[in-house]
Amino acid sequence: MKRKLVGILVLMGVTQLSGCASLGVQPWERDLLAKDEMALGAEGVDLGLDDHIYFSKEATSGGRSFAGGGCGCN
Amino acid sequence: MGPIRALAGAITLSAGLLLAGTAPVMAAQPAPELALQLASKQVNLSDYKGQVVYLDFWASWCKPCQRSFPWMNEMQAKYGDKGFTVIAINLDSERKLADSFLSKLPAHFPVAYDPEGESAQAYKLKGMPTSYLIDKAGNLRIAHQGFHVEKQSKYEQEIQGLMAE
Amino acid sequence: MQLKNKGTVATALAGAACALLGTPAVQAEEEMLKDWKFDTAILYYGETDRVSLAEGVISATKTNDDDSLFNVKLVIDTLTGASANGAVAQPYAQTFSRPSGKDGYVVKPGETPLDDTFRDTRVQLSGSWMQPFADTWRGTGAVNFSREYDYMSLGVSGLLEKDLFMRNTTLSAGLSFQFDSIDPVGGKPMTMTSMLTPTYNEADDLFDWDDDYEEGENKDGSDSKTTTDLILGVTQVINRRMLMQFNYGLSVVDGYMTDPYKLVSVVDSSGITQDVIYEGRPDSRTKHSFFWQTKYALDNGVVDVSYRYATDDWEIDSHTIDSRFRFNLGDNNYIQPHLRYYQQSAADFYRPFLNQSDATPMYASADYRVGEMTAYTVGLKYGHKMENGHEWAVRAEYYQQDPKNAGFDEPGALADLDLYPSVKAVILQFNYHF
Repeated sequence: MKRKLVGILVLMGVTQLSGCASLGVQPWERDLLAKDEMALGAEGVDLGLDDHIYFSKEATSGGRSFAGGGCGCN
Repeated sequence: MGPIRALAGAITLSAGLLLAGTAPVMAAQPAPELALQLASKQVNLSDYKGQVVYLDFWASWCKPCQRSFPWMNEMQAKYGDKGFTVIAINLDSERKLADSFLSKLPAHFPVAYDPEGESAQAYKLKGMPTSYLIDKAGNLRIAHQGFHVEKQSKYEQEIQGLMAE
Repeated sequence: MQLKNKGTVATALAGAACALLGTPAVQAEEEMLKDWKFDTAILYYGETDRVSLAEGVISATKTNDDDSLFNVKLVIDTLTGASANGAVAQPYAQTFSRPSGKDGYVVKPGETPLDDTFRDTRVQLSGSWMQPFADTWRGTGAVNFSREYDYMSLGVSGLLEKDLFMRNTTLSAGLSFQFDSIDPVGGKPMTMTSMLTPTYNEADDLFDWDDDYEEGENKDGSDSKTTTDLILGVTQVINRRMLMQFNYGLSVVDGYMTDPYKLVSVVDSSGITQDVIYEGRPDSRTKHSFFWQTKYALDNGVVDVSYRYATDDWEIDSHTIDSRFRFNLGDNNYIQPHLRYYQQSAADFYRPFLNQSDATPMYASADYRVGEMTAYTVGLKYGHKMENGHEWAVRAEYYQQDPKNAGFDEPGALADLDLYPSVKAVILQFNYHF
């Protein structure tokens, strides 16, 4: 478990550092990224409905956001 | 939970570093010269020397930019004949997106088009929109990152201040 | 999250359409600066011979002048139909009691036992507020409440986000706490104890109970559980077309996680059921999830791929690949294929059935949803933006679950029966955004 956590933090660190170097865009180059459909949570209603279906039919939930609970689904 | 605390620390530290650099008032320095491609003609930023200029960098996809247009029109209407002008530099890579934006939120001030973002590069923009107040002598005096509706009256006071100089 | 620039392009395109049609500019300006947006959807989910679900969603989002967002969402769904009760199929007809303990149902020879008692309506209300502050920070607070006949859930959560490097990197940390209470129909059965069943009297179509049967004698009251979730995430803009997100999630659940309506068959060496008992699951579970998502903007579309690995102390490991490919057909239409693949290993207490000759374990569940399985979804969505800027979309999907034998021998009669039937479902959805 501890090793996993360390792994994550290393990965976070690397991502962060690379942010300084060459990754990323200038503030005025966000035309494509600013599109609705490029948002990570785009089509939020669909994602919510899917989460509800898979939450009630499979043993794993969450990941994208909170795993939560909230239904005694069959 | 050690690693989590470390992360929280890192977040706080980086926040402190970033917050340090956002003071709007800047040391007066000459505004970098720009060739402005207006809809009908090309002019230079320095042509506006003698006027107070509100130089705004915007794009059609930027939400706060939408909110800034009605206010910029208002400022232009109020002070446009008193030695003040708004100049808005559009940074859309596609002109038709800018045109579509302007068909809905018409601009009553000069709009320049810079699809390559050269002006943004020259001014080293840190965010969208960014606006600068340039005094009559052509010096950059005040910079704003973002457009905050609740600060509109403060922006206006700054314009009045520079006009009174 | 920093890219949620809702409605900008949509309204811009809609505005272009308005301009062409000569709509007055004032109306277009109002549309562009409109601060309330509504997302609505209705969904139908139907399994062959099993559960069907109808669900409606209304989500309203207000964008304020300081870019803070307020969202309120109402979800109502209604579930009917049958679901597997966990018992194994048998070469003869089987009788089970209903959860209420008042009635029974008969399952035909060779068929997977399904309990068709389920009929429930759920109402869920949630609200959230996202507040940007100090230029590069955002804080979000959310509450949610959901209620169904035998279940109640209440949750609060908070999320803190920080933009770095001209918003090219975003760090996020979130915490959520959820309290769920369940009040099973007929009471909470004592785990791993026998289900008391009536005898089916075919002549007068009645279920007869033993004389000494007392309704609810091995069932008692209600129970609850708490779920605490922690999420740490990094979002990184890679270039003008691509961004990536990585999340680590920790979820700790304490309390009642047994499904009070699920059963486990106890069979003899020839595979014939000798007893049917109520399942029992451990009362704590710790899950770790690793979620990676990337989005790529094409000239005329978007590629969205995500992968999730999850592992927990019930020994359930899962892999999920989810992908959506959006292709724009002109400015106002798009089609979007959806592919999803899911695979999970069985929980350590999963038993498709128990052998009479073995000692009764502390926990056992025959619920295929905690067994080994693979599942896939294929779907297609079509969306259209109207001249007034409103959008509608339809989505049709096929979902199939294929439970697998996780290495259990099937004695005698069980060898000839299908203990791991596939579950097949269709999903139909209609969205309207305005």
